[in-house]
Order: sequence, then C-alpha cells, then structure tokens
Amino acid sequence: MVINVFKSAKDAKVKVPDLITRPVGRLMFTRAIEKLGDISEEEILLLDFAGIKVTDSSFIDEFIVKLIKHSAEKNYYVKLTNISDISEINIDSVFNSYSNYNDSRIAVSRAELGRNNRYYIGPLNEHESDIIDYFRINRSASFEDISRFTGLDIPVVKTIMEELLKLRLVRKNKDDFTSV
Amino acid sequence: MGDGRMRLTVPDMFRDPYTFEGIISKYEEILHDVSEIDMSRVSFIEPYSMVSFLLMGRSCFRKRGEKIKLINLPIHIHQYLARMDFFKTEVFSVPGILDEGLVLKRSSESSRLIEITEIPNKERQGANVISSVIARFRKRGSMILKYWMDDTVTDYFVTVISELCQNIFEHSLDTGFVSMQTYRSGKENVVRLVISDSGVGIHGSFEAGRGIDYKSPADLIEKALTLPVSSKRDFGYGLCQVNSIVEKLKGTILLRSNDASVAALYNKKGGSSKHMFQRDGLPPFQGTQITISLTA
Repeated sequence: MVINVFKSAKDAKVKVPDLITRPVGRLMFTRAIEKLGDISEEEILLLDFAGIKVTDSSFIDEFIVKLIKHSAEKNYYVKLTNISDISEINIDSVFNSYSNYNDSRIAVSRAELGRNNRYYIGPLNEHESDIIDYFRINRSASFEDISRFTGLDIPVVKTIMEELLKLRLVRKNKDDFTSV
Repeated sequence: MGDGRMRLTVPDMFRDPYTFEGIISKYEEILHDVSEIDMSRVSFIEPYSMVSFLLMGRSCFRKRGEKIKLINLPIHIHQYLARMDFFKTEVFSVPGILDEGLVLKRSSESSRLIEITEIPNKERQGANVISSVIARFRKRGSMILKYWMDDTVTDYFVTVISELCQNIFEHSLDTGFVSMQTYRSGKENVVRLVISDSGVGIHGSFEAGRGIDYKSPADLIEKALTLPVSSKRDFGYGLCQVNSIVEKLKGTILLRSNDASVAALYNKKGGSSKHMFQRDGLPPFQGTQITISLTA
C-alpha cells in the first residue's frame, strides 16, 4: 500500500510543502489509519514524501513514530521514500532521542540510499547496518548466509536478526529472512 | 510628572542582544515607576532588542493596566518599528502616526524580514499561526537569506522556527512573539531570528515538570539547549535539534531566561577555543528570549 503524503496533506487542507506541529501530525495519522483499514498482515506501507520539504520533530513524533508503533501492533511494515535531507536529519534525531530515553529502539526502512549512506534511518550498530546493506543485494538470506557474510557465529547472528525483526527492518519467511 | 511616575530617557543600547542588557537592567524601574520613555537617543534597533522591549512594555501593561508612552521617537526608528508591526501589538502608546509619505513601503525590496507575529499559547491556534509564519518565510526566504542562499539553509530555518515557536505554547504558559530580519551591521550582513516570551522560563518549566540536575540557572539552560531533555515528555528533541542546526550553519544562538543566559558562538568554534558562554546573575527578566543569527 502506498500513501502519498503530499496528496494526503492537501486533501486534509494542510499547508504544504512543510509538515510541522503536533496537531498536523495527529491529523495526518488519523487519516492514514483510516486508509490502512484493509492493509494485510506482512504488507509494506510505503509512505511517499515526494514534494514534502520539512517535517519537524513534533510531526515526526505524532505521525511516523506512531505509525511504526501501529505497524508493530497490526503486523505490517513501514517504509519511507522521497525523504528530504532535512527530514532525514530530523527523523534521525527523533529516533536517536527516543532510543536513548526508552528501553526500545526505533528505526525505519527507506527505499533509497540516504545521506547517511544507508537504507534505513535510526540508531543501528555496525553489524546490523552491514546486514541491512547485505539484504539490499541478497533479497533473501538464512542465518548461515548471514553468518558467512559477517563472519559472526550463528548464535550471535540469531540475536542480531531478532533485533532487526523487532525493529521491523527485515521480515521472516519460513527459515529465511527478506528485506522490507 | 503628575501621577508620580517618571520619564526615562533610554540610552542607545538597542544595537545587539549584549548591549540590550543595559536596558534590561532598567526593567524593574520601567515596570514600576516609568510612564514615558524618551527614545531620542536611540539610533538603531535590531530585532532581539525590539521584541524584548515589546515584552517589557507588555509586562507593564499587564501589571499596571496602562500603556507606557514612547516619546521623541527619531523618525527612522518610528518608521522601522511601524514596518515591523511593533505598534500593531498596541502595547505602547505612541503620540501621532507617521505621515503616509513617511511610511516604509512593503515592496519585495523591503521583504527581508518577518514582521512581529504573536504566537498564541494554545496548541491549535499556535500551530495555525506557525504555519502562516512558515508560509511567509518560504515566500520571502530568498530575500531574507540572500547572503546565505541555499535551499538547505531555508529548510533548516523552517525547522528552527517551527521548533522554537512550538516551545512557546508547549512550555511557556504565555503567548510570545517571533520576528526575523536581515540587516547590515558594519561590514557584515546579519540575519537574526528572534522568538521570545515572558512566560515561566526554562527554570519554571522544569520545576513544574520533571526535575533535572544542574549547577546554576545558566547550566540548566545549557542542558536544555544541548541535551534531548524535556520538562514535559520523557525526552525532547526541539531545542537540542535547533542547537545542532545552528552549529551546522556556524551561527550563534543566545538563550536568555530570567536571570541567566547561554551563548553558543559556533562561528568562533574551532581548535580549543571556548564557544559556549554561561552567564548567571543577570538582571531578572521573566520568560525565555532566544535569538539565532548568521553573519556573512
């Protein structure tokens, strides 16, 4: 499923190209949830930010963070596309603060390589980061494949993959994993 | 003066946030005893001084129910204040209005500014006003940021304006003001953004919410500026994000609250030189006043 955020904002009579403040974030979240009514389990929700220049931390907190939490409850995946540089900086800052002050981390997949040279936004460690990169080339991989690629023992790989599953950056398909 | 109150002639100390401390040192006197302010010695006013002066006048008006009269305004100061919508706030009483021929034109040439705009202390109304201010800034951004022009800088400022204005209704418990202007100071071009209120201040906000360890009021301000802490939520990103943007842009930020301030001079950062300056024991002035500037 794709949500064109720019169009959705215009439909909601929100001034674009900037999505700022909590009330706007809440409004956009409510509208997104209405659209998600028939999303299937394991489906990817692509949030297309084409045409949006700035998203501030309040909007990110009310819209993106809440959608990521909602996706964990309803078992679908969130992916971002066409994120501007400043929005990437702001999303990264919100995710880092969130992770520093909570027991859990938060991250999100993205369609294109970002200014951070990665296909995700969020506070991942080096091994996690490398594995996400690996999945861009190899759409599907087993524990053994990842162990061979990283040089890490299988039990360590299992722990890392559990974390990446929890962060909803990879999906499990029987014994293999696939990228989001 | 007949009513027992006095006339105060203010010195020419509206040139920058640091000299304006001289005016703030007269705040208590203005608040209680002054009914007329003689502006004849003032030769220049920059946005931070203008908005802070406006807050002073508003506090007087709220406390005493009467407006302070501004007298002997030099014509160019009168023109400037009118152009910035200073008088639209109706905080001060001003004898006479400018002749139509003397009013500064609002052409695109004079659009290197955002007029003084009040930010309400209610979330919904505040968000609507912020959205309008951002829309105005987007329209005038190429003029305001002429000397720094790059789309990234405009986007950075959108984030900064949005974050700081939201802090007014999220934390200050009062309305506030935003204004911005590009002007020339000596050989430098300066763009200055001001977002100020006369609310509970940073100390008051943290006292009312979650506590945080700090050594002095200025230390608390520095923590609020540099760490993702919040007085309201588990953590905060706004002010901290603003600080990191100012650092990226190699600008300066001054954050003053009650009787303390912190200045971060990222334009001077480099090597081992100090760039963060705390000041405690300043003359009390309620609320939070923030100014960000870039020079070119």
